[in-house]
Amino acid sequence: MSMTDLNDDPFQMDEDFDSSSNKKLIYTSSNSIPPSQNDIHYMRSNIEQLKLENNNTTTNTTEEEEKFEEDLDDKLDLNLQNKIQLEYEKQQLDNLPLTPPENFALVVGKIYRSSFPQPSNFSFLNKLNLNSILCLIPEDYPILQNEFLQDNNIKLFQLGMSGNKEPFVKISSELITEAAKIVLNPKNQPILIHCNRGKHRTGCLIGVIRRLQNWSLTIIFDEYRKFASPKERPMDQQFIELYDDAEIKKHCHENNLLPLKWD
Amino acid sequence: MSIDNTTIQDQDDNNTNTNKQLRKISHPPALRIIPPLNFCPVEKQLYRSGQPSIINQSFLNELNLKTIIWLASEEPSDDFLEYCNYNDINIEFIGMINEFEYDQQRLQNPWDSLTDSTIRKALQIIVQKKNYPILISCGMGRHRTGTVIGCLRRLQGWNLASVSEEYRRFTGARGGRILVELLIEGFDINSVEIDLEKAPDWLKVD
Repeated sequence: MSMTDLNDDPFQMDEDFDSSSNKKLIYTSSNSIPPSQNDIHYMRSNIEQLKLENNNTTTNTTEEEEKFEEDLDDKLDLNLQNKIQLEYEKQQLDNLPLTPPENFALVVGKIYRSSFPQPSNFSFLNKLNLNSILCLIPEDYPILQNEFLQDNNIKLFQLGMSGNKEPFVKISSELITEAAKIVLNPKNQPILIHCNRGKHRTGCLIGVIRRLQNWSLTIIFDEYRKFASPKERPMDQQFIELYDDAEIKKHCHENNLLPLKWD
Repeated sequence: MSIDNTTIQDQDDNNTNTNKQLRKISHPPALRIIPPLNFCPVEKQLYRSGQPSIINQSFLNELNLKTIIWLASEEPSDDFLEYCNYNDINIEFIGMINEFEYDQQRLQNPWDSLTDSTIRKALQIIVQKKNYPILISCGMGRHRTGTVIGCLRRLQGWNLASVSEEYRRFTGARGGRILVELLIEGFDINSVEIDLEKAPDWLKVD
């Protein structure tokens, strides 16, 4: 099967979609195909549609989003699509190469960082035997990701931080301290820290952890920039430098968490 | 606010002042630990970095290294060799200019890529538990280190796009080299012999 074979069918349909009525078209098209048809084209086109749908909801204005969320049919449909995709992935689990989330890395010991994990990353994440995930964005955790957590008994901590851009002074030291306490607690490890892109909010938290390891600020900034590139924020680096570590240090000493162990 | 700041500053500067309040103020620690350039953990007890030197010793002490895979074409400095010797760290030189096993009499330049056989040699060390903890390093921790890590990731079953994303994260402003990525893509992962009994846990296929 050549690439064009795969591309033609589902993509042609996508191009025909009128972006304003995408949702309805997806709904009807997924119903018109008998679900018993276990064909790779069918699966693939469903995934493409799901991706399209996800893109759409994020680019929609908030008003439109609310309208869609109230529409029960749409919700059901989304669930169906999700199930299909999960099934597809379980089927493919052994054949697909592993895909870590973008910006994935080991931080220290059993602490990992990454961008927002997507369904395509689940088989990779499974190998980490995660105990918990710390999510640093305020939005609700998506259904599919939630199911993955439940299926694998992974605890979810969520500390919503607003990722404000311009005067980015808004990142809260208190929340970072709370986050650090969660991450450093051995009971929660192995733990994966993520925000949206794994750049800024995650980068600030990692910077604070590096300070607990007494790293020189130069190297901390260098690491921050590597992961935030090409969108490094000077204010984030300033935050890392000026963050008052008195409370988290006290917490660490009381709980005997320092020095952090590498293995 | 500003008054507080200045008084703290004043006390700070004046060490002879033994005000008890002063002790409550948290200071940055005197000892700054300096990891080598481009340092990052890769897997449990496996690390990558640019060329380590003696200024990194307090940091390197924490890692309890057993092996350093030295991919740089230059030799380490004498004081660093001494440090490794004193701490029983085994340095494996791979891809040196004066390597004993010349690859088809071809001279190596610092900017040359590694070859399949040097990559394989490095991986053969990495797949053995007994060598851990391991640090993989080259001059800047970018291309040579990135090549070996990239091939290791393929060995772990990562897809090439993810391998490339990780490689490029460490290559700095000038970006990744296509030649390195071609080398990673073309490397025959089946040519690495893995004895699962002796391999690190994270490498084991379940």
